[in-house]
Amino acid sequence: MSEQTLNVVGQSVLRRDGLSHVTGKTQYIDDIQFPDMLYLKMVRSPLHHARIHGIDFSEAEKVPGFVRAFTYKDVPKNIYTILCLIGVGPDEEPVLAEKEVLYKGEQIAAIVAQSEEAAIEAAAQVKLDLEELPAVFDVEEALKPGAPIIKPWGTNYFVYEGHHCRRVRFGNIEDGFAKSDYIVEGCYEPRPIEHAPLETTGCVAKPEANGRITVYTNTQALYFSMDNTALILQVPFNKLHFVGGSVGGAFGGKVDVIVEPIAALAAMHTGHPVKYLYTREEEFHVSSTRVAYRIYFKDGITKDGHIVARQVTSYADSGAYNRHTPYAVTKHAANISGPYFIPNVHIDAHCVYTNRVPTSAMRGFGVTSASFATELQMDKIARTVGMDPYEIRLLNAYRNGDMRPYQKVVGDATLVEVIKSAAEMVHHPLGERFQAMTSWDRANSPAQPEPVSPEKRS
Amino acid sequence: MTTQAYFRPRSLAEALGLLDEHGPAMLVMAGGTLAMPLINKGVSRPEKVMGLRQAGLDYVRSVDGGVHIGAAAPLSRVRASSGVPLLAEAVKNVAGWAVQNMGTAGGNLFAPPPAGDLAVALLALDAQVKLASHRRGERLVPLAEFFTGFLTNCLAPDELVVEIQVPKPIGKTVLLKYGRLYTNTPAIVSVAVRLLARNGRVNDVRIALNAVGPHPFRARQAETTLRGAALHAEIFAAASSTAAAECEPFTDPIASADYRRRMVNVFVQRALAQAAA
Amino acid sequence: MASKIVTFTLNGHETEVLVKPLTTLAKALREKLGFTATKCGCYEGNCGSCTVIVNGEPVLSCILPVEEVEGQSVLTLEGITPSEGLHPLQQAFHENFAVQCGFCTPGMLMISKALLDKNPHPTQAEITDALSGNLCRCTGYDPIIAAVQQVAEGTNSNQGGTHE
Repeated sequence: MSEQTLNVVGQSVLRRDGLSHVTGKTQYIDDIQFPDMLYLKMVRSPLHHARIHGIDFSEAEKVPGFVRAFTYKDVPKNIYTILCLIGVGPDEEPVLAEKEVLYKGEQIAAIVAQSEEAAIEAAAQVKLDLEELPAVFDVEEALKPGAPIIKPWGTNYFVYEGHHCRRVRFGNIEDGFAKSDYIVEGCYEPRPIEHAPLETTGCVAKPEANGRITVYTNTQALYFSMDNTALILQVPFNKLHFVGGSVGGAFGGKVDVIVEPIAALAAMHTGHPVKYLYTREEEFHVSSTRVAYRIYFKDGITKDGHIVARQVTSYADSGAYNRHTPYAVTKHAANISGPYFIPNVHIDAHCVYTNRVPTSAMRGFGVTSASFATELQMDKIARTVGMDPYEIRLLNAYRNGDMRPYQKVVGDATLVEVIKSAAEMVHHPLGERFQAMTSWDRANSPAQPEPVSPEKRS
Repeated sequence: MTTQAYFRPRSLAEALGLLDEHGPAMLVMAGGTLAMPLINKGVSRPEKVMGLRQAGLDYVRSVDGGVHIGAAAPLSRVRASSGVPLLAEAVKNVAGWAVQNMGTAGGNLFAPPPAGDLAVALLALDAQVKLASHRRGERLVPLAEFFTGFLTNCLAPDELVVEIQVPKPIGKTVLLKYGRLYTNTPAIVSVAVRLLARNGRVNDVRIALNAVGPHPFRARQAETTLRGAALHAEIFAAASSTAAAECEPFTDPIASADYRRRMVNVFVQRALAQAAA
Repeated sequence: MASKIVTFTLNGHETEVLVKPLTTLAKALREKLGFTATKCGCYEGNCGSCTVIVNGEPVLSCILPVEEVEGQSVLTLEGITPSEGLHPLQQAFHENFAVQCGFCTPGMLMISKALLDKNPHPTQAEITDALSGNLCRCTGYDPIIAAVQQVAEGTNSNQGGTHE
């Protein structure tokens, strides 16, 4: 066997942008200046749910430095949804609100002016004629008969291939409960979390002499943003040049395509670079948050600690629009049974719309919230059965050869070994039976690979 | 509107003259840590602003064992030079180092609860504030009478806070600030206690609280129950309970009113016990 | 009141800037003078990203009217970056992965420099206390504290940089 020379694995590799960051040379969006740059400020809905009867720009137009106002009529394809590019539909979010607003802070009209102060002043002078409508803020309230319906297709939930929720069915849940010695119920409600990156969301769109538009943006999703912008503006993709990669923190909060389309439209129409950068208030009030969930568990447990039945009804609060939440709920449904082997599983995961700020991605979206719930529930089960929390997890952990509730056979499990290592690291003693467990101890487990001897590792 | 004028008077007399000339619509600031954020956001849009950094009010002077602090003295100077440990403790609780450099002793009196970390210490020390106007001269007001409501005080429209006077401190002082973080955090409750004990009994006591009412205040009923009482955990617990009953906490994103009230009951007795130890 | 000229020493050089009343130091540095290393994360003196050093003391430039630095000495990150190589603090931040998105980094470096200038060998508690007004959403702070500690414990730790 030839000697391996490793240049990266096993070495400390310094960040390629580290030097730029420590010398202050990294260019963030607010560092970008052009002499003829204009500033975009958004007129936002002050109400949670309202019909728009009119917008009066007459006072705004008088503000010195005012350049232009944009409404939905200026947007070639106003209704979109960011994940349309991976087949998640339907299009349901407006770039600028048309006849209705569905959340407090929703974008209604864009004001462009020669200075930031003028844009703020002009935006403040826009008069909105709004008719307040009943609003709904709770996921279960939103699904009750008689709740105000806020989506155009007539329900307050996302439709998953014709169904009202994402469903996982495995085994027979009633048989599972019948075999149980304990029923353990729980309700877990992870709340929305604001990412609060130090750099706020924003972009600068600049029209170039050759007819292209350069968009400098701090999005995490450069291609999503570029492609969606092209679809919204109804221009060929190659008309746009997106420049990014320097993101002043995001954690999932800069994956929604929100600022680029309207800034690019404004640049196209005014012939000037246009900066649209959230204030800290906008970042807190209007930018997407982690999805909030309400998750009901009903588990059937045998007296020796096996989970033989798990029934979960979960409600995700998508807020007013899709963003990444329908996709998150799919992942959530796959993970809410936990990393455990359970022979009877019944999951209904709803993606519900309310008149709240749209929720979207945040670190491990869909799954983090599931883990929060499954592990609190596991501790509750441990207390009910009178078992050690590590040992009950080792008992139930999925092994190689197990079938997951969504019909995939496990072939790469290492959970048992990880739990045992964790117990060892914190000096938590495990019973002999549990110490002997491995991820390969099922009869139908694939063969365990040979461990690599230390000498063979480089 | 954008600010049209920013005045930087070089003396107190000049400052008072400008206030007299331009009236209360002129925004007065010292460190700017409270006013500038509001101006940056466009919440506050003063046509005229007066900054007090240069007006000769930035001193910290030892006087008769106590200290006279100019209203525009940076908090960091108070922390380093006041010679009063309770004041240094209070300043340590204010945000971070840069804010302590910029914020001032007088300015901190205008911080909206739950912010404002200095007043509890000053109240416990029986501080007085000197107010001055161009036409009517100076007057001294006990700090306990300065605050009248949420962000309201007894300052007349033509007056400035010019000095804080702290008498020579006697007794044992303790300051406890409870927040959701250990540092750089708004208070759930702040307690300052000054205890004079003699022969195992309370000779006199001050209990000052912030973040549990519209303004910093003394828990006078609790103080009354303590005077003459034995230095005993049960006595402290009863006084703490009285303090909790006499506060008027509010709910905000930091904590609920109910939790604040219960925390008054925890931290007042803790502070008393530490002062008596 | 018309715009006025404010004269101050910036990173060792006498500098003039023409500003409207109450223009902040951050705005003057970033937009008028093109010194964009100083960042603004909140515009309300809460996050510490805009920290610069005035006469040896750390201040928040986003809430400081530039007129207040008339005749004073202002030091920004551009002023401690040598023309070749790195200031020891910059090197330590880079090596200790005290930098992820980089947005808090200029403020963190400036407050750390201010600390080490006054107290060349701070304890960990003193470092934490000094940096407590600077927010970071990425690193969890430990690598930053470690970087400052590494410089604090080194010999000849705080020399370097074009303009002290």
